[in-house]
Amino acid sequence: MTALQTPPATAGSRRELQPGVLEAAANKRRKRTYLALLIPGILGLLVSFVFPLLYMVRMSFNEGAPDGVVINTFTFDTYIKPLTDPYYWQVTFNTFKMGLTVGVLCLIVSYPIALFLVRSTSRFKGLLLAIAIAPLLTSAVVRTYGWMVILGTNGLVNTSLESMGLISTPLKLTNNMTGVTIGLVEIFMPYAILAMISGFGRLSPQLEEAAGSLGASKFQVFMRVTLPLSLPGVFTAFLLVFVMSISTFITPRLLGGGSVQVLATEIYDQTTGLLNWPFAAALSVILLVLFGTIIAVYQRIVKKIGG
Amino acid sequence: MTDSKLSIVDLTKKYAAGMAPAVDRLNMEVEEGHLVALLGPSGCGKTTTLRMVAGLMDPTAGSIKVDGREITQEPVNKRGMGMVFQSYALFPHMNVEQNVAFGLQMRQVPKAEQKARVAEALDMVQLGHLGKRATKALSGGQQQRIALARALVVEPTLLLLDEPLSNLDAKLRDTMRTEIRSIQQRTRATTLFVTHDQDEALDMADRIAVMNGGLIEQFGSPIDVYERPRTHFVANFIGQANFLNITVGEDLGPAPSLGERNYKIDVAGLGQFGAVGAPGLTGSSRPVLIRPHRLRASLQPESAQGGLKGTVEQVSYTGDTVSIAVRVGDELLKSQLHTTSGSLPRTGDAAYLSWNPEHAYILPEAAQAVAA
Repeated sequence: MTALQTPPATAGSRRELQPGVLEAAANKRRKRTYLALLIPGILGLLVSFVFPLLYMVRMSFNEGAPDGVVINTFTFDTYIKPLTDPYYWQVTFNTFKMGLTVGVLCLIVSYPIALFLVRSTSRFKGLLLAIAIAPLLTSAVVRTYGWMVILGTNGLVNTSLESMGLISTPLKLTNNMTGVTIGLVEIFMPYAILAMISGFGRLSPQLEEAAGSLGASKFQVFMRVTLPLSLPGVFTAFLLVFVMSISTFITPRLLGGGSVQVLATEIYDQTTGLLNWPFAAALSVILLVLFGTIIAVYQRIVKKIGG
Repeated sequence: MTDSKLSIVDLTKKYAAGMAPAVDRLNMEVEEGHLVALLGPSGCGKTTTLRMVAGLMDPTAGSIKVDGREITQEPVNKRGMGMVFQSYALFPHMNVEQNVAFGLQMRQVPKAEQKARVAEALDMVQLGHLGKRATKALSGGQQQRIALARALVVEPTLLLLDEPLSNLDAKLRDTMRTEIRSIQQRTRATTLFVTHDQDEALDMADRIAVMNGGLIEQFGSPIDVYERPRTHFVANFIGQANFLNITVGEDLGPAPSLGERNYKIDVAGLGQFGAVGAPGLTGSSRPVLIRPHRLRASLQPESAQGGLKGTVEQVSYTGDTVSIAVRVGDELLKSQLHTTSGSLPRTGDAAYLSWNPEHAYILPEAAQAVAA
């Protein structure tokens, strides 16, 4: 039967039909297609990210003369100043502290919401999630101004507390780190909630029920099962909020009212105020390297904990 | 009453007002050391019942007692029960030993004792060598055993199994069936076992509660529910069943099984036959149950007892036997022929059906509209 069905083939066509050869050719073609599809993305990244970044690194070794003149040279002076001047150490420390504080506070307020949204079996779950992330529809600038109104000397918080007789002089909630922290925590909450929800995949009501049936109280269930299983989401959310906090400019600038100095505001001042582009570039590179390292270390630790 | 291990009285669960209750005034007494299967189709309330016993769900009404002590209001973590979930629910962030030790830790058992009991429990399920493994590295059958060890290591007042075998492949399911049963018998753990698989229930259980629509249709030994089903539903759900609507005739005296009578029955004008049933049925209209393998089919008219004449409508060859469906009046009756019995039947052939009277059981439940 098989012999009858096999068509007579010439030597040439038989060689072409060898499966290995065919497969290799198909693979090659597929690879070429993939590459072609990647080109627009790679080009976009090159033009908008890689070249500017390289340009910035090169800029950081130039010399900045007054009035925004950039002298093309190769010097380490731009790095020596921030690395030796205690003021910049303080600014870097402020930046780190702000990232840490905002990250931790943001987790604390977002965690219950994320947990609730993941566990909810309500038919309004989708709507609730939409409400939780709705603030993203408004720009951070607008929300920062909103916080300025709420936290200001004559703002909602102070007038309410005063009228209740709880305070006699208004609390200083803006133009300092307190205001910036409050604003940033709220602004980053939707990101934290989304990141946590996506990282809560291992949570399941059955695991909590199993722990309960084995004698764990509600608190023990949370500590021994819910919390450990939600850690991946918590770690991701923290990283995201931390990174966004240390690089954010608008909120520290507006709610800080000029008295909160972090690396981002310092870079902005150097770029647009003092027009010292090489120095601003050097600060940017320091920010990039320093926090890049911190994040890399963080992720290694997280990987170890997460198993 | 007081000597039952588990006693459920009028247990009711309503999910929403206006809806039919998921469990409707359920009553059940479970003896110490027994394995009781809650058997029924999906949505019959069996899992809801189990979850209420476990304390994972609050009953709307009714009471649950263990060893005579009321536990209806007790939270899940105070009930001391061991539960095995359908998905096993092993903690993914703990290894095998940590999973099994969890319940002992919650009971603050000393470390050394914990270790010994965990090792013993793992040996019991033949996985003593896998203690340090991550649970996700285990096969379904192994995960199942770990879940069983984790539930049993705390010496639970009741062992609760929620469809524990439904996620396993057929061959493994058979092995685990035997293993769970033997472990249960060794530990004498009083067990509630939820399943929709009648074979599983017949094979493993001391008692079967056949559930339907939130009610227990019958609670009895496997033999009881198979041989003497109280309702049409039970007869149909457990095993293959043929029903004939008949009128019960003359009482012919006591039958071989205790308390039952032999009756003459009249099959809708097709003739007079024999059957057994509870006393006092003469004159009533009822379904009679004959299991297919007890319904003799012949292609020649039988001389001794005329038999029920019908027409072969379906034939399916399964190797050892040929399954046939014979049309008798409005009914389609299933039967089997051995392939050694000469020529094979064909559709359209005349067939003669007969049975021993003790194999035809008149249901105590009155005749109802029988779905085709």
